[in-house]
Amino acid sequence: MTMRSVLLALGFVAIVVWPFLVDNTFYTHIGVSVWMFTILALSMNLMLRMGQLSLAHGAIMGLGAYTAALLMLRLDVPFLPAFICSGLVGALVAAITGPVMLRVKGVYFVLLTFAFGEIIVLMFIDWVSLFGGHNGIFGVPRAELFGFVLRDRSYSYLFALGLAALAYLILRWIYSTETGAVIDALHDDEDLARSLGVNALGYRIGIFIVSGFMAGIAGGFYASYFTFVTPESFTFWTAVDALVMNILGGIALPLGAVIGAVMLVPLPELLRDSQEYQILFYGLILIFFLKFLPDGVVGVIKSLSTDSSRSLGKRFMKILAWRQVK
Amino acid sequence: MLQLTIQIAVNGLTFGLIYILMALGFTLIFGIMRVVNFAHGEFYMVGAIGILLLFGTLGFNYYLSIVFAVLCVGLLGVIVERVLLRGFVGRELNSMIMALAVAITLQALAAILFGPQEQSVARPVTGVLQVAGVFIPRDRIVVGVIALAVLIAFYLFLRYARYGLAMRAVAQDPAAAALQGIRPGFIYSLAFGVGSLLAGLAGALMAPVYTISPFMGDVPMMMAFIVVILGGLGSIPGAVVGGLLLGFVESLFSTFFGSTIATMIAFGMVVLILLFKPSGLMGRAQ
Repeated sequence: MTMRSVLLALGFVAIVVWPFLVDNTFYTHIGVSVWMFTILALSMNLMLRMGQLSLAHGAIMGLGAYTAALLMLRLDVPFLPAFICSGLVGALVAAITGPVMLRVKGVYFVLLTFAFGEIIVLMFIDWVSLFGGHNGIFGVPRAELFGFVLRDRSYSYLFALGLAALAYLILRWIYSTETGAVIDALHDDEDLARSLGVNALGYRIGIFIVSGFMAGIAGGFYASYFTFVTPESFTFWTAVDALVMNILGGIALPLGAVIGAVMLVPLPELLRDSQEYQILFYGLILIFFLKFLPDGVVGVIKSLSTDSSRSLGKRFMKILAWRQVK
Repeated sequence: MLQLTIQIAVNGLTFGLIYILMALGFTLIFGIMRVVNFAHGEFYMVGAIGILLLFGTLGFNYYLSIVFAVLCVGLLGVIVERVLLRGFVGRELNSMIMALAVAITLQALAAILFGPQEQSVARPVTGVLQVAGVFIPRDRIVVGVIALAVLIAFYLFLRYARYGLAMRAVAQDPAAAALQGIRPGFIYSLAFGVGSLLAGLAGALMAPVYTISPFMGDVPMMMAFIVVILGGLGSIPGAVVGGLLLGFVESLFSTFFGSTIATMIAFGMVVLILLFKPSGLMGRAQ
């Protein structure tokens, strides 16, 4: 146990000092991307946990990104209020559309959010005077916290890490409260939960709002980190990426979303020269996980740490019993 | 004004027939296997690449190339169903994600084998037919006639053929169908094979009209989505109604407001249908 906590502490320190450890802008950039997409993957985890896969989350992230970009560029709003607004816009979209969209279940919800998300992306493309069309918006100011501009990537890294950690803790907290139990109940047997007096739609809307806020925040960070936004970054494929991160890591725990992001986000950056092989690898690994490890990395860790030890213990007991008989 | 109306209607019909071809397979696969086939656009793409290879590079007869390419796509569909999707039948979310994985993999394989760039083949039929002031490209007529013929054949197959009947039976009630001695596994393969074959045919027909690339399937798949939701997921008459509706709406709005607005309107219709009548215009209530 002490060995494990020492390892955990070391890992934690390594994650925090990563940019200073590698001292390489490229690897630091990968780290920033990882934590940025961790936020989106976590927001997707909330949706998956209640059994409603949203393909609009890429577009909601995009709304956050465009909000931050437009507020800072056109209205000279300082970073922090603009950044918070990007989250609020995500939450607002969820609050407005949720009461109607969340009545739809299963595949129909997936297709509904798919269509809704694509409409938003088409709006980015078509409304050129506001959103800049295919070219998007360039020259977004960098993040600035309390008069300190995050010009250095290392500081962007720490900011992204902090946000991801906060999102992770919020998810852990939600899942540990009664709300978490209700979400799981809604996923497992909604009729039963409703017969016990649970306001199913109300809980779903609440979770959707939190999830939309997180996706918007991820977008707000995106805008200020890359300093540009284009519509192509926010199609349903971005939501699919967040979904795949959850599947590879495992949907059962928020940690799965984090693991998935750490596994997946570096891939396109590291294999930049051979994009086709990168996509192929992405597809094959997804097929492999779906077919052989449907519970993701978290599932593997769980089965290793509980089942095998139990079966080892069982085997040990059997040997003891056999000896006594002899 | 009348000429413009007829022109819009003709354009709508030529769009609509291809949409129906795409949507029929999609809705057939969902109706029978409850799989939302996110890889449907990729079978369209493979059909087009077949034409690029057989007709463009090897120089075979265009119509012969279509037949051969389409059969290959059908076979590919059967293999994909048998190896990858069979275990997920009935589990809607997981099978959908598996179909996404298949889509990603097929796109990547096509990009590796044929290059990511856009390519084109010579048009086997050229020229424009002018009837009473309405312009119809001749290649669109060929596409329309072949599509229509296949649609009628498909309808007759479902209506009268032994296996067509079996497919409809499984779609209605798998358990009762199994009691009648219909093997669901075989029907799954057949449905997925026929579905991808139809998508491949759409791709093969459109290959000379548009450019060919590994990512060309995204838009037709989206159109199939829209059509199928408008008509009702799993409903065959719905796919026909939805396809024609989408074709006309697209033709009408892109004539007056541009294609982005037309697509936006189509998605808007999808959202409204899903919210107020999720079973679609022609679908059965669940």
